[in-house]
Amino acid sequence: MIDVIWSTLPFLFEGLWMTFQISIVTIFFGSILGAAIGLLRTMNVTPVNLILGAYIHTLRGTPFLIHLYVVYFILPTTGISWLQLEAFPAAIIALSMYTSTYVAEIVRAAIQAVPRGQVEGARSVGMTALQTMWYVVLPQAAKLMIPPMGGIYVIIIKGTSIVSVIGIAELVRAGEHATQRHPRELMVIYGMVALMYFAYCYPVLRLARWAEGKFGTLDTNG
Amino acid sequence: MDWLLGFYDWFLGFYNYRIVIQYLPEFGRGLWATIWISAISMALALSLGTVVAIMRISANPISWRIAAGYVQAIRSTPLLVQIYVIYFALPALPLLGRRLDELEGGILALGLNAGAFMSEIIRAGIQSVEKGQVEGAMSVGMTYLQRMRYVVLPQAFARVIPPLLGQTAVLIKDSSLVSFIGVFELFGAGLFVYSERLKPNEGYLTVAALYLLIYFFMMYLANSAQRRLGGGRAAQ
Repeated sequence: MIDVIWSTLPFLFEGLWMTFQISIVTIFFGSILGAAIGLLRTMNVTPVNLILGAYIHTLRGTPFLIHLYVVYFILPTTGISWLQLEAFPAAIIALSMYTSTYVAEIVRAAIQAVPRGQVEGARSVGMTALQTMWYVVLPQAAKLMIPPMGGIYVIIIKGTSIVSVIGIAELVRAGEHATQRHPRELMVIYGMVALMYFAYCYPVLRLARWAEGKFGTLDTNG
Repeated sequence: MDWLLGFYDWFLGFYNYRIVIQYLPEFGRGLWATIWISAISMALALSLGTVVAIMRISANPISWRIAAGYVQAIRSTPLLVQIYVIYFALPALPLLGRRLDELEGGILALGLNAGAFMSEIIRAGIQSVEKGQVEGAMSVGMTYLQRMRYVVLPQAFARVIPPLLGQTAVLIKDSSLVSFIGVFELFGAGLFVYSERLKPNEGYLTVAALYLLIYFFMMYLANSAQRRLGGGRAAQ
């Protein structure tokens, strides 16, 4: 058993490195997209809200697996050349869209949690709507967004396991390869894979809990 | 009318509804399988979640440590890995011997996964019941079990039904992952159509629409439960 662990560990670490890279890229793009959507939704322009609401409900209402297959298998059938995506960009796009729905809800809830008087005060001293948003609302809202973002990061890390099905060599895929070399040691190999995810996610969850105590909780369902 | 015919041709190439009609029985079977797999997993998750929630708030360190460890282990690992561990790895344990079949393994994994998330929701519900309620029940001489059964849990569940329905919606989506250990359910129906006709759109887009249908039904349930119960907000 020890030699199985020893011989598969380098492969699994390569997989973990890939999982790490995907999750970092995804939280970056997913947060930008999500922040834009969340900001737009707080502006209460009816047609924009309808479109963004449809976007969020469609993504929330279908499994991530479907998003991945739509981006990877269905977009190429439209015949548009720039939609013929390789596995890696397809995975990043699908994961970022999935992430953006969560981020959008958090950004919106955080902005709405800033007391109305703050906006009124800023407007009454002559700030424009943009200035109010940038100098008064966002700095206060940003603090509220920190704790739930930890939860989102963990959702992304766990989501990256699913992109193994389109052939990306991340941690689960690395585990599958290892089981093909050592078919009798399934328990050990999947146990190691699970431990590696745990070692990556658990500190993030603890950090989010700590941040909750420091910055307060946010009701994202409103 | 030429452009209309042209559009129709393009549409048939992109999404040939005749194939969907031909495979309607498969989609129906898949939808039905997803519904009952989710129902059994939810029943498992609810009972497990209740027990774990009660263990988690108990004063006994062994009991709450086990509960907390279980919740953290589930929350910090992906469902796909949990499914693989239970389906491929658990039978390797000498005491289990018999291999779980795909369906048992899948349902067990989904139940264990959702159970952890539901236990957190139920725990919040239990802790939201006012202390006076428990004290009142104690003062009329109820035992611990009676207090839980007749006073605390009914109030706790009334408050958390909307978020529990939201978690169930997540469970239904997550159940698509058991198709990778060979369980035939809704997503499996999409995979099947793709494998037979090599047309991804007819399979996956149809499946996506059916998942959306389930999701809107769950949202409707959560919203009406919320309206009827007054309290807590529905989970998204």
